[in-house]
Amino acid sequence: MPRSVVARFAAPLFAIALLAGCATPPPADDKEAMMEWDQNNDPLEPMNRAIFDFNQAVDKALLKPVAQGYGAIMPQYGKDRVRDFIRNLRAPVVFFNDVLQGQPDRAMQTLMRFAFNTGFGIAGLIDVAEPGGIPYHDEDFGQTFAVWGIGEGPYLVLPILGPSNPRDGVGIATEWLVDPFNLYMDHIDRSWPVWTRAGVSGLEKRERLLAPLDEIERSSLDYYSALRSTYRQNRNAEVKNALNPTGLR
Amino acid sequence: MLSRRILLLSAVAAATCLHVPSIAFAVEVKARSFIQDLADTAMNTVAVKDLSDAERALRFRNLFVNTFDLPEISKLVLGRYWRPPTTAEQRGEFQKLFEDIQVYTWTRRFKEYSGETLDIFGVEPDASGDSLVVSQIRRHNLAPINVSWRVRKDGETFRVVDIIVEGASMIVTYRSDYSGVLSSQGGKLDSLLAVMRQKADQLKAGS
Repeated sequence: MPRSVVARFAAPLFAIALLAGCATPPPADDKEAMMEWDQNNDPLEPMNRAIFDFNQAVDKALLKPVAQGYGAIMPQYGKDRVRDFIRNLRAPVVFFNDVLQGQPDRAMQTLMRFAFNTGFGIAGLIDVAEPGGIPYHDEDFGQTFAVWGIGEGPYLVLPILGPSNPRDGVGIATEWLVDPFNLYMDHIDRSWPVWTRAGVSGLEKRERLLAPLDEIERSSLDYYSALRSTYRQNRNAEVKNALNPTGLR
Repeated sequence: MLSRRILLLSAVAAATCLHVPSIAFAVEVKARSFIQDLADTAMNTVAVKDLSDAERALRFRNLFVNTFDLPEISKLVLGRYWRPPTTAEQRGEFQKLFEDIQVYTWTRRFKEYSGETLDIFGVEPDASGDSLVVSQIRRHNLAPINVSWRVRKDGETFRVVDIIVEGASMIVTYRSDYSGVLSSQGGKLDSLLAVMRQKADQLKAGS
């Protein structure tokens, strides 16, 4: 089942790319315009903007209101439990990526967290490891590919999923295919837990991003460009694990 | 004679060796306390409750123009459009509008202030000779926000040149944002200024 979903998304994406075409690069003798073009890293901008507009429409009509409702109704305690549970479910993927990135210490942290939280934290509902001194960190296949030296490729806006690039997009698909939870559900022929989990983690993420995205939209003139720049810079910092101030000398 | 010169030289060398780190260290300490003072002043003057929007905006503007290097920030945000054929008036107008947009954006943020605190972790020298003050904004119930402040020495004090939030530089983001508008407007700076004016008014009304 998870395989067919990837295939189902790939085909229309390719079709839209063909329809929308590419942006025209500036003339080669205009060095500064060329630099700006390279820096934006967005040769598929017309297609990306079309998907971005589609995403914005879906977000305004559905995703954002639902996330706002969840944010307003769910008490903080409940939100924390959902977040902890979703994080714990992803621990095998994080562990796998820690290992693939050659980070045994971080892999051990993730493993210990998974053991403690699954065992003592009621199947991961309560993060008991963090107060116990093993902090959470995130990893994904996109970051692993980056550590392996694979470039991000051109900026890509994915339908519903939003800002990405070929490297991170392949990372998302890889995660979907190798996640033990998905594999197990596939094996016992149950698809609803996979979709429920995807829905809940998407909702949880959108709720967390309500304020930051509103901030970017409000303070920018061209939301698309501001978001593209923010995503690429933030992603770059994540790859370098640079968002951890305790690692400061 | 020669040996004395060598002795003298090595003494000077030793002195500079000892001296340089202490200067760098002093700069780090000062940069840190500059950001701490900036945060404290903002908390005690701009973030206080029961202020009119106009008064809060005025207080923030005073703090902002005195602690941020606005001419440098404007120049970096505008990039290649800063140079001619852009006129001095257009630059002045850009800087004024950019200041307004920042003032009304931050005034609203401070209005919604709910007990966040700034934790400074340390200071790193930067490749360009600036200092990077690494900090986190701690929030109630929510994950902390990673913020680094790029500060530049300005006489006895410092000026903020850039803020890096969760790895994203304010200058890089605004440059990309504004050049996006410029390229959709055929590179006409006056069109960008018109869009900025509209944004400033909109933010002012909503602040």
